[in-house]
Amino acid sequence: MTDSEQGQKVEQVHLGILFTAFLTISLCGVGGGSGIIWARRITVETRRWVTDGEFADIISLCQFMPGPNIIGIAVCVGAKMRGAIGAIAALCGFLVVPWTVGLALGLLYLQYANLTAVRNILGGIATSAAGLLIATGTRLLKPYHHRPAALLFAVLAFILITVGKLPLFAVLFSVVPLSILIAGIENARAR
Amino acid sequence: MTGPSAPLALTVHLAWVSSISFGGFPTVLPDVRNFVVGTNRWMTNQEFANLFAMGSQSPGPNMILMMSFVGWKVWGFPGALASALATFGPPCAMYFIAYRLWNRFRAAPWQRVVRLGLAPVVVGLVIASGTVMAHTADNSWQAVAVTIATAAITLATRLNPMWMLLAGGILGGLGLL
Repeated sequence: MTDSEQGQKVEQVHLGILFTAFLTISLCGVGGGSGIIWARRITVETRRWVTDGEFADIISLCQFMPGPNIIGIAVCVGAKMRGAIGAIAALCGFLVVPWTVGLALGLLYLQYANLTAVRNILGGIATSAAGLLIATGTRLLKPYHHRPAALLFAVLAFILITVGKLPLFAVLFSVVPLSILIAGIENARAR
Repeated sequence: MTGPSAPLALTVHLAWVSSISFGGFPTVLPDVRNFVVGTNRWMTNQEFANLFAMGSQSPGPNMILMMSFVGWKVWGFPGALASALATFGPPCAMYFIAYRLWNRFRAAPWQRVVRLGLAPVVVGLVIASGTVMAHTADNSWQAVAVTIATAAITLATRLNPMWMLLAGGILGGLGLL
Protein backbone atom coordinates (compact mmCIF):
# COMPACT_ATOMS: atom_id res chain seq x y z
CA MET A 1 0.00 0.00 0.00
CA THR A 2 2.71 2.47 -0.97
CA ASP A 3 0.31 4.78 -2.77
CA SER A 4 -2.33 4.72 -0.07
CA GLU A 5 -4.33 7.86 0.33
CA GLN A 6 -6.19 9.12 3.36
CA GLY A 7 -9.58 7.43 3.71
CA GLN A 8 -8.84 4.86 1.05
CA LYS A 9 -10.63 1.59 1.62
CA VAL A 10 -8.64 -1.37 2.86
CA GLU A 11 -7.21 -3.16 -0.13
CA GLN A 12 -9.52 -5.98 -1.12
CA VAL A 13 -7.88 -9.33 -0.67
CA HIS A 14 -8.43 -11.63 -3.61
CA LEU A 15 -10.58 -14.63 -2.70
CA GLY A 16 -7.97 -16.93 -4.22
CA ILE A 17 -5.36 -15.56 -1.82
CA LEU A 18 -7.63 -16.21 1.16
CA PHE A 19 -8.21 -19.70 -0.21
CA THR A 20 -4.51 -20.52 -0.64
CA ALA A 21 -3.52 -18.98 2.70
CA PHE A 22 -5.91 -21.26 4.57
CA LEU A 23 -4.96 -24.19 2.37
CA THR A 24 -1.36 -23.60 3.50
CA ILE A 25 -2.44 -23.41 7.14
CA SER A 26 -4.33 -26.67 6.87
CA LEU A 27 -1.36 -28.44 5.27
CA CYS A 28 1.14 -27.03 7.79
CA GLY A 29 -1.04 -28.16 10.69
CA VAL A 30 -0.37 -31.80 9.82
CA GLY A 31 0.52 -33.70 12.96
CA GLY A 32 -2.11 -32.14 15.15
CA GLY A 33 -1.99 -29.51 17.81
CA SER A 34 0.02 -26.94 15.90
CA GLY A 35 -2.77 -25.68 13.65
CA ILE A 36 -3.36 -22.54 15.69
CA ILE A 37 0.36 -21.68 15.62
CA TRP A 38 0.39 -21.78 11.82
CA ALA A 39 -2.88 -19.88 11.60
CA ARG A 40 -1.34 -17.11 13.71
CA ARG A 41 1.92 -17.08 11.80
CA ILE A 42 0.20 -16.70 8.43
CA THR A 43 -2.76 -14.45 9.28
CA VAL A 44 -0.96 -12.18 11.76
CA GLU A 45 2.72 -12.18 10.83
CA THR A 46 2.93 -12.93 7.11
CA ARG A 47 -0.30 -11.45 5.74
CA ARG A 48 -1.13 -8.92 8.47
CA TRP A 49 -4.84 -9.51 7.96
CA VAL A 50 -5.54 -9.35 11.69
CA THR A 51 -3.59 -7.91 14.60
CA ASP A 52 -2.38 -10.00 17.51
CA GLY A 53 -5.23 -8.63 19.63
CA GLU A 54 -7.83 -9.48 17.02
CA PHE A 55 -6.39 -12.97 16.72
CA ALA A 56 -6.63 -13.49 20.48
CA ASP A 57 -10.21 -12.21 20.36
CA ILE A 58 -11.08 -14.67 17.61
CA ILE A 59 -9.54 -17.54 19.59
CA SER A 60 -11.50 -16.69 22.72
CA LEU A 61 -14.67 -16.29 20.67
CA CYS A 62 -14.09 -19.70 19.09
CA GLN A 63 -13.48 -21.41 22.41
CA PHE A 64 -16.84 -20.13 23.49
CA MET A 65 -18.65 -21.68 20.53
CA PRO A 66 -19.52 -25.17 19.37
CA GLY A 67 -17.65 -26.93 16.61
CA PRO A 68 -14.05 -27.49 15.66
CA ASN A 69 -12.36 -24.33 17.00
CA ILE A 70 -9.70 -23.90 14.34
CA ILE A 71 -12.35 -23.67 11.65
CA GLY A 72 -13.65 -20.62 13.45
CA ILE A 73 -10.37 -18.85 12.66
CA ALA A 74 -10.93 -19.40 8.94
CA VAL A 75 -14.53 -18.19 9.19
CA CYS A 76 -13.70 -15.07 11.25
CA VAL A 77 -10.62 -13.98 9.26
CA GLY A 78 -12.44 -14.62 5.97
CA ALA A 79 -15.45 -12.68 7.26
CA LYS A 80 -13.26 -9.77 8.27
CA MET A 81 -11.51 -9.53 4.91
CA ARG A 82 -14.39 -10.18 2.50
CA GLY A 83 -17.61 -10.88 4.43
CA ALA A 84 -19.63 -14.05 3.88
CA ILE A 85 -17.97 -14.93 0.57
CA GLY A 86 -14.56 -14.48 2.19
CA ALA A 87 -15.53 -16.79 5.04
CA ILE A 88 -16.59 -19.43 2.51
CA ALA A 89 -13.36 -19.02 0.50
CA ALA A 90 -11.19 -19.35 3.61
CA LEU A 91 -13.22 -22.33 4.80
CA CYS A 92 -12.99 -24.07 1.41
CA GLY A 93 -9.24 -23.51 1.37
CA PHE A 94 -9.00 -24.92 4.83
CA LEU A 95 -11.14 -27.99 4.20
CA VAL A 96 -11.37 -29.04 0.56
CA VAL A 97 -7.92 -30.52 -0.09
CA PRO A 98 -7.36 -32.19 3.31
CA TRP A 99 -10.91 -33.53 3.19
CA THR A 100 -10.59 -34.94 -0.33
CA VAL A 101 -7.18 -36.48 0.29
CA GLY A 102 -8.19 -37.80 3.71
CA LEU A 103 -11.42 -39.27 2.37
CA ALA A 104 -9.67 -40.94 -0.58
CA LEU A 105 -6.97 -42.47 1.65
CA GLY A 106 -9.56 -43.50 4.20
CA LEU A 107 -11.73 -45.20 1.62
CA LEU A 108 -8.69 -47.03 0.29
CA TYR A 109 -8.16 -48.22 3.86
CA LEU A 110 -11.79 -49.26 4.17
CA GLN A 111 -11.38 -51.45 1.06
CA TYR A 112 -9.02 -53.57 3.08
CA ALA A 113 -10.74 -53.16 6.42
CA ASN A 114 -11.80 -56.81 6.45
CA LEU A 115 -8.18 -57.97 6.29
CA THR A 116 -7.09 -59.03 9.77
CA ALA A 117 -3.83 -57.09 9.60
CA VAL A 118 -5.52 -53.79 8.67
CA ARG A 119 -8.18 -54.32 11.32
CA ASN A 120 -5.50 -54.95 13.94
CA ILE A 121 -3.56 -51.83 12.97
CA LEU A 122 -6.67 -49.65 13.09
CA GLY A 123 -7.66 -51.19 16.39
CA GLY A 124 -4.24 -50.34 17.81
CA ILE A 125 -4.46 -46.76 16.57
CA ALA A 126 -7.93 -46.35 18.10
CA THR A 127 -6.56 -47.61 21.41
CA SER A 128 -3.85 -44.92 21.44
CA ALA A 129 -6.17 -42.24 20.09
CA ALA A 130 -8.56 -42.81 23.00
CA GLY A 131 -5.61 -42.33 25.37
CA LEU A 132 -4.68 -39.08 23.61
CA LEU A 133 -8.21 -37.78 24.06
CA ILE A 134 -8.18 -38.62 27.78
CA ALA A 135 -4.82 -36.86 28.12
CA THR A 136 -6.07 -33.77 26.26
CA GLY A 137 -9.01 -33.46 28.63
CA THR A 138 -6.92 -34.14 31.73
CA ARG A 139 -4.47 -31.43 30.72
CA LEU A 140 -7.37 -28.97 30.39
CA LEU A 141 -8.34 -29.71 34.01
CA LYS A 142 -5.19 -28.06 35.33
CA PRO A 143 -6.48 -24.46 35.60
CA TYR A 144 -9.33 -25.64 37.84
CA HIS A 145 -7.26 -27.07 40.69
CA HIS A 146 -8.16 -24.12 42.88
CA ARG A 147 -11.85 -24.16 41.93
CA PRO A 148 -13.55 -27.17 43.57
CA ALA A 149 -16.94 -26.25 42.08
CA ALA A 150 -15.48 -26.37 38.55
CA LEU A 151 -13.90 -29.78 39.21
CA LEU A 152 -17.23 -30.99 40.56
CA PHE A 153 -19.06 -30.01 37.37
CA ALA A 154 -16.35 -31.62 35.21
CA VAL A 155 -16.75 -34.86 37.18
CA LEU A 156 -20.55 -34.61 37.02
CA ALA A 157 -20.50 -34.21 33.21
CA PHE A 158 -18.06 -37.12 32.96
CA ILE A 159 -20.24 -39.44 35.06
CA LEU A 160 -23.50 -38.53 33.32
CA ILE A 161 -21.97 -39.43 29.93
CA THR A 162 -19.94 -42.52 30.86
CA VAL A 163 -22.08 -44.12 33.58
CA GLY A 164 -25.43 -42.44 32.95
CA LYS A 165 -25.09 -42.85 29.16
CA LEU A 166 -27.23 -39.73 28.71
CA PRO A 167 -27.40 -37.89 25.39
CA LEU A 168 -25.13 -34.85 25.08
CA PHE A 169 -27.93 -32.27 25.04
CA ALA A 170 -29.39 -33.64 28.28
CA VAL A 171 -26.03 -33.29 30.01
CA LEU A 172 -25.31 -29.85 28.56
CA PHE A 173 -28.70 -28.38 29.35
CA SER A 174 -28.74 -29.73 32.90
CA VAL A 175 -25.15 -29.23 34.05
CA VAL A 176 -24.14 -26.07 32.17
CA PRO A 177 -26.85 -23.74 33.61
CA LEU A 178 -25.98 -24.92 37.12
CA SER A 179 -22.30 -24.47 36.47
CA ILE A 180 -22.85 -20.96 35.07
CA LEU A 181 -25.01 -20.10 38.07
CA ILE A 182 -22.27 -21.16 40.50
CA ALA A 183 -19.62 -19.35 38.43
CA GLY A 184 -21.80 -16.24 38.58
CA ILE A 185 -22.11 -16.48 42.38
CA GLU A 186 -18.35 -17.02 42.74
CA ASN A 187 -17.72 -14.10 40.44
CA ALA A 188 -20.03 -11.81 42.41
CA ARG A 189 -18.42 -12.81 45.71
CA ALA A 190 -14.95 -12.18 44.35
CA ARG A 191 -15.76 -8.53 43.83
CA MET B 1 -30.44 -49.87 5.89
CA THR B 2 -31.10 -48.57 2.41
CA GLY B 3 -33.28 -45.75 1.18
CA PRO B 4 -32.97 -42.10 1.99
CA SER B 5 -34.30 -42.28 5.56
CA ALA B 6 -31.05 -43.56 7.10
CA PRO B 7 -28.70 -40.90 5.65
CA LEU B 8 -31.29 -38.22 6.34
CA ALA B 9 -31.55 -39.29 9.98
CA LEU B 10 -27.76 -39.35 10.28
CA THR B 11 -27.37 -35.91 8.69
CA VAL B 12 -30.04 -34.35 10.90
CA HIS B 13 -28.49 -35.92 14.00
CA LEU B 14 -24.98 -34.72 13.11
CA ALA B 15 -26.24 -31.21 12.35
CA TRP B 16 -27.97 -31.20 15.73
CA VAL B 17 -25.02 -32.41 17.77
CA SER B 18 -22.54 -30.21 15.91
CA SER B 19 -24.66 -27.22 16.94
CA ILE B 20 -24.09 -28.09 20.59
CA SER B 21 -20.49 -29.36 20.28
CA PHE B 22 -19.06 -26.82 22.71
CA GLY B 23 -15.34 -27.34 23.08
CA GLY B 24 -14.94 -29.09 19.75
CA PHE B 25 -16.35 -32.13 18.04
CA PRO B 26 -14.70 -34.84 20.21
CA THR B 27 -17.26 -34.09 22.92
CA VAL B 28 -20.04 -35.53 20.76
CA LEU B 29 -18.35 -38.89 20.09
CA PRO B 30 -20.25 -40.82 22.80
CA ASP B 31 -23.54 -39.40 21.53
CA VAL B 32 -22.76 -40.26 17.89
CA ARG B 33 -21.60 -43.74 18.91
CA ASN B 34 -24.89 -44.38 20.70
CA PHE B 35 -26.83 -43.14 17.67
CA VAL B 36 -24.85 -45.03 15.02
CA VAL B 37 -23.96 -48.26 16.85
CA GLY B 38 -26.63 -48.47 19.54
CA THR B 39 -29.89 -47.02 18.22
CA ASN B 40 -29.51 -47.66 14.49
CA ARG B 41 -27.03 -50.55 14.34
CA TRP B 42 -25.43 -49.22 11.15
CA MET B 43 -22.07 -50.59 12.28
CA THR B 44 -20.39 -52.47 15.12
CA ASN B 45 -18.39 -50.98 17.96
CA GLN B 46 -15.23 -52.19 16.26
CA GLU B 47 -16.09 -50.53 12.95
CA PHE B 48 -16.82 -47.28 14.77
CA ALA B 49 -13.50 -47.52 16.60
CA ASN B 50 -11.75 -48.12 13.25
CA LEU B 51 -13.29 -44.97 11.79
CA PHE B 52 -12.18 -43.10 14.92
CA ALA B 53 -8.65 -44.42 14.30
CA MET B 54 -8.75 -43.30 10.67
CA GLY B 55 -9.96 -39.86 11.68
CA SER B 56 -7.34 -39.52 14.42
CA GLN B 57 -4.39 -40.13 12.14
CA SER B 58 -5.66 -37.86 9.37
CA PRO B 59 -4.04 -34.47 9.11
CA GLY B 60 -6.32 -31.46 9.25
CA PRO B 61 -10.03 -31.60 9.96
CA ASN B 62 -10.02 -35.07 11.46
CA MET B 63 -13.42 -35.12 13.16
CA ILE B 64 -15.06 -33.95 9.92
CA LEU B 65 -13.28 -36.78 8.15
CA MET B 66 -14.35 -39.31 10.75
CA MET B 67 -17.99 -38.27 10.36
CA SER B 68 -17.57 -38.45 6.58
CA PHE B 69 -16.45 -42.07 6.93
CA VAL B 70 -19.51 -42.74 9.08
CA GLY B 71 -21.66 -41.13 6.36
CA TRP B 72 -19.91 -43.19 3.70
CA LYS B 73 -20.73 -46.41 5.59
CA VAL B 74 -24.38 -45.45 5.63
CA TRP B 75 -24.85 -44.00 2.13
CA GLY B 76 -21.66 -43.89 0.07
CA PHE B 77 -20.30 -40.62 -1.31
CA PRO B 78 -23.47 -38.52 -0.87
CA GLY B 79 -23.58 -39.69 2.73
CA ALA B 80 -19.94 -38.68 3.25
CA LEU B 81 -20.56 -35.22 1.80
CA ALA B 82 -23.78 -34.72 3.76
CA SER B 83 -22.11 -35.78 7.01
CA ALA B 84 -19.19 -33.42 6.44
CA LEU B 85 -21.51 -30.49 5.77
CA ALA B 86 -23.64 -31.36 8.80
CA THR B 87 -20.52 -31.47 10.97
CA PHE B 88 -19.03 -28.09 10.07
CA GLY B 89 -21.97 -26.17 8.56
CA PRO B 90 -23.98 -25.24 11.67
CA PRO B 91 -20.91 -24.26 13.76
CA CYS B 92 -19.55 -22.16 10.88
CA ALA B 93 -22.82 -20.30 10.49
CA MET B 94 -22.74 -19.66 14.24
CA TYR B 95 -19.10 -18.47 14.09
CA PHE B 96 -20.00 -16.06 11.32
CA ILE B 97 -22.98 -14.58 13.16
CA ALA B 98 -21.08 -14.43 16.46
CA TYR B 99 -18.16 -12.68 14.79
CA ARG B 100 -20.55 -10.06 13.44
CA LEU B 101 -22.05 -9.55 16.90
CA TRP B 102 -18.75 -9.91 18.75
CA ASN B 103 -18.20 -6.20 19.30
CA ARG B 104 -21.55 -5.96 20.99
CA PHE B 105 -20.98 -8.65 23.62
CA ARG B 106 -17.20 -8.98 23.95
CA ALA B 107 -17.09 -6.68 26.98
CA ALA B 108 -20.30 -7.95 28.59
CA PRO B 109 -19.67 -9.33 32.09
CA TRP B 110 -22.02 -12.30 31.53
CA GLN B 111 -19.75 -13.43 28.72
CA ARG B 112 -16.92 -14.18 31.16
CA VAL B 113 -19.25 -15.92 33.60
CA VAL B 114 -20.76 -18.11 30.87
CA ARG B 115 -17.26 -19.12 29.80
CA LEU B 116 -16.23 -19.84 33.40
CA GLY B 117 -19.27 -22.09 33.77
CA LEU B 118 -19.06 -23.78 30.40
CA ALA B 119 -15.35 -24.60 30.29
CA PRO B 120 -15.11 -27.16 33.12
CA VAL B 121 -18.17 -29.02 31.82
CA VAL B 122 -16.52 -29.25 28.40
CA VAL B 123 -13.37 -30.64 30.02
CA GLY B 124 -15.46 -33.36 31.70
CA LEU B 125 -17.08 -34.13 28.35
CA VAL B 126 -13.71 -34.48 26.56
CA ILE B 127 -12.42 -36.94 29.18
CA ALA B 128 -15.73 -38.81 28.98
CA SER B 129 -15.32 -39.06 25.20
CA GLY B 130 -11.86 -40.56 25.58
CA THR B 131 -13.20 -43.05 28.11
CA VAL B 132 -16.15 -44.06 25.94
CA MET B 133 -13.88 -44.47 22.90
CA ALA B 134 -11.45 -46.55 24.99
CA HIS B 135 -14.39 -48.71 26.03
CA THR B 136 -15.42 -49.01 22.37
CA ALA B 137 -11.94 -49.81 21.05
CA ASP B 138 -10.26 -51.84 23.79
CA ASN B 139 -11.11 -55.53 23.78
CA SER B 140 -8.26 -56.82 25.93
CA TRP B 141 -6.32 -55.82 29.01
CA GLN B 142 -3.30 -55.17 26.78
CA ALA B 143 -5.32 -52.60 24.85
CA VAL B 144 -6.46 -50.93 28.07
CA ALA B 145 -2.82 -50.79 29.15
CA VAL B 146 -1.86 -49.08 25.87
CA THR B 147 -4.64 -46.51 26.31
CA ILE B 148 -3.49 -45.73 29.84
CA ALA B 149 0.18 -45.64 28.81
CA THR B 150 -0.61 -43.28 25.91
CA ALA B 151 -2.49 -40.94 28.23
CA ALA B 152 0.32 -41.03 30.80
CA ILE B 153 3.11 -40.45 28.26
CA THR B 154 1.19 -37.60 26.64
CA LEU B 155 0.71 -35.93 30.02
CA ALA B 156 4.32 -36.44 31.10
CA THR B 157 6.16 -35.53 27.87
CA ARG B 158 5.84 -33.23 24.87
CA LEU B 159 6.14 -36.06 22.38
CA ASN B 160 4.29 -35.53 19.08
CA PRO B 161 0.98 -37.44 19.33
CA MET B 162 1.66 -38.99 15.91
CA TRP B 163 4.36 -41.20 17.50
CA MET B 164 1.81 -42.51 19.96
CA LEU B 165 -0.65 -43.36 17.19
CA LEU B 166 2.16 -45.04 15.25
CA ALA B 167 3.15 -47.10 18.29
CA GLY B 168 -0.47 -48.15 18.82
CA GLY B 169 -0.76 -49.11 15.15
CA ILE B 170 2.44 -51.19 15.28
CA LEU B 171 1.42 -53.00 18.47
CA GLY B 172 -2.00 -53.68 16.93
CA GLY B 173 -0.48 -54.81 13.63
CA LEU B 174 1.74 -57.27 15.46
CA GLY B 175 -1.40 -58.76 16.96
CA LEU B 176 -0.45 -57.86 20.52
CA LEU B 177 -3.67 -56.06 21.45
